[in-house]
Amino acid sequence: MSVTSTTASKVLDVLVRITGTDEVRRNLDLPLFDTGLLDSLGVAELIIGLSDTLGIEIAPSEVERDLWSTPRQIIAYAEERIKA
Amino acid sequence: MIPYADFFSLGVALYVTFVAAMAGLLDWLRQTRLWVVVATAVMLVLTFSGSQVLWHGAKGQVVTVPTLAFVLAYAFFQYIVARAWLAVRIRGKRQWAYCTVIGLALAPLVVAKLGNHLAPSDVLGFLGISYLTFRCVDTVIGIQDGLITDLPLVQYLAFLLFFPTLSAGPIDRYRRFEQDWTGNPTASAQRGSGQTATAIPLVSPAAGTGRSRTRAEWLNDLDGALQRIFRGLLYKFILASLIRQYWLNPAAHMPGLLGTLSYMYAYSFYLFFDFAGYSAFAIAFSYVLGIHTPENFNRPFLARDIRDFWNRWHITLSYWFRDHIYMRFVLAATRGKWFKDRHLASYGGFLLSMGLMGAWHGLTWYYLIYGLYQAALLIGHDVFSRWNKQHHVLHGPAWTAASIALTFNAVCFGLLLFSGHLA
Repeated sequence: MSVTSTTASKVLDVLVRITGTDEVRRNLDLPLFDTGLLDSLGVAELIIGLSDTLGIEIAPSEVERDLWSTPRQIIAYAEERIKA
Repeated sequence: MIPYADFFSLGVALYVTFVAAMAGLLDWLRQTRLWVVVATAVMLVLTFSGSQVLWHGAKGQVVTVPTLAFVLAYAFFQYIVARAWLAVRIRGKRQWAYCTVIGLALAPLVVAKLGNHLAPSDVLGFLGISYLTFRCVDTVIGIQDGLITDLPLVQYLAFLLFFPTLSAGPIDRYRRFEQDWTGNPTASAQRGSGQTATAIPLVSPAAGTGRSRTRAEWLNDLDGALQRIFRGLLYKFILASLIRQYWLNPAAHMPGLLGTLSYMYAYSFYLFFDFAGYSAFAIAFSYVLGIHTPENFNRPFLARDIRDFWNRWHITLSYWFRDHIYMRFVLAATRGKWFKDRHLASYGGFLLSMGLMGAWHGLTWYYLIYGLYQAALLIGHDVFSRWNKQHHVLHGPAWTAASIALTFNAVCFGLLLFSGHLA
């Protein structure tokens, strides 16, 4: 298992816990805000979750929401941050 | 001169930006920086041509300063504060310094508002100071988060005093403005696009040549500008004017509950068309200069619920409070385990951000009530929608329609509180 896929599974674990559904694992292009699975409270919990599990600190104003609205985009962002 | 308030000021803005718009015909004149600086300088002189009383002497003598000097002093003060903060921040995170700097950035606004409250005069404030403060605080927070790593003087002043949005927004963000200004997404905005700076560079990679639009970009910008200017004309000078003259003003003198209801709807529509029209002008003139100022309104009266409404109404203000107040409160509350229930942290965030938003509009009781009312709506909606999601009671197209109507009326009542008509 590569480093990236570990990151992906950790991000998905956090997303499943916050959204309360496995759907995010099955459909990586699920629009999280439009479906109401993620709101501002969820984003805050996601930021804390990523900080706890991956050690990356993301500021609330760092990412535009339309660049961060699907599981795939969030995974890609986390992977970029870890690589750097 | 109040920007876009009448045909005269609109005409002045058109004249000033006309040169920038036409110069785009020539390749080497499509520089965003050049036109932003020239147009902003001219408009600052025209907008702040007056002077204001600094001191009333005991013997009746009056000391005045040109308003422009006052505005420039404000801008340089904010620049020095932010620059000093950047120098401190590069050496590490210091909470006390962060709080001090936030306090300093807010100080001119607080003094102006409190001063106005204690002794009504226009001594310390100037048109747009409330909106400029948002941009200053946004920069300070960006530095704290390590997102802003460089602060060139001209770029910062151009961002702060950018004339199209000077008086009442939309509230742009420093990192977003920087992208248009430099045409270089690898400046300190790079973390937003997914690339992380490993070390804080002392010299910005964007310090070289300025932004020059391609011909296609220039035409696209002009197209966007023209569409918005016509929308602004329709909204502000036709619809808002007609509503005010034939509906709002008569309704203001109508007695009884019906009169109040009529005023409530009239005021809501007037405020929307007036402010959305102003915003359309502000964004249009930004586009002419190559700056893509974010939108402020997106059909707010068709919002499905109150949360949706705040994604559609005064969007840049609402997102500012979301990112800088609500989110930070919820993060701190969750990390510090202040509340047993996760939703209570969110409700605390609603109360804090909406309360502050009310206070920012002015230290008058009905603005504060308006803020608390909005927080109550957001909390009520959250409790209801979680219950509804669990029990799946109300759904389907009929409920959606009812929800839109309910939201519209709740919003209009909020704007009635905001108008001060009940005071």
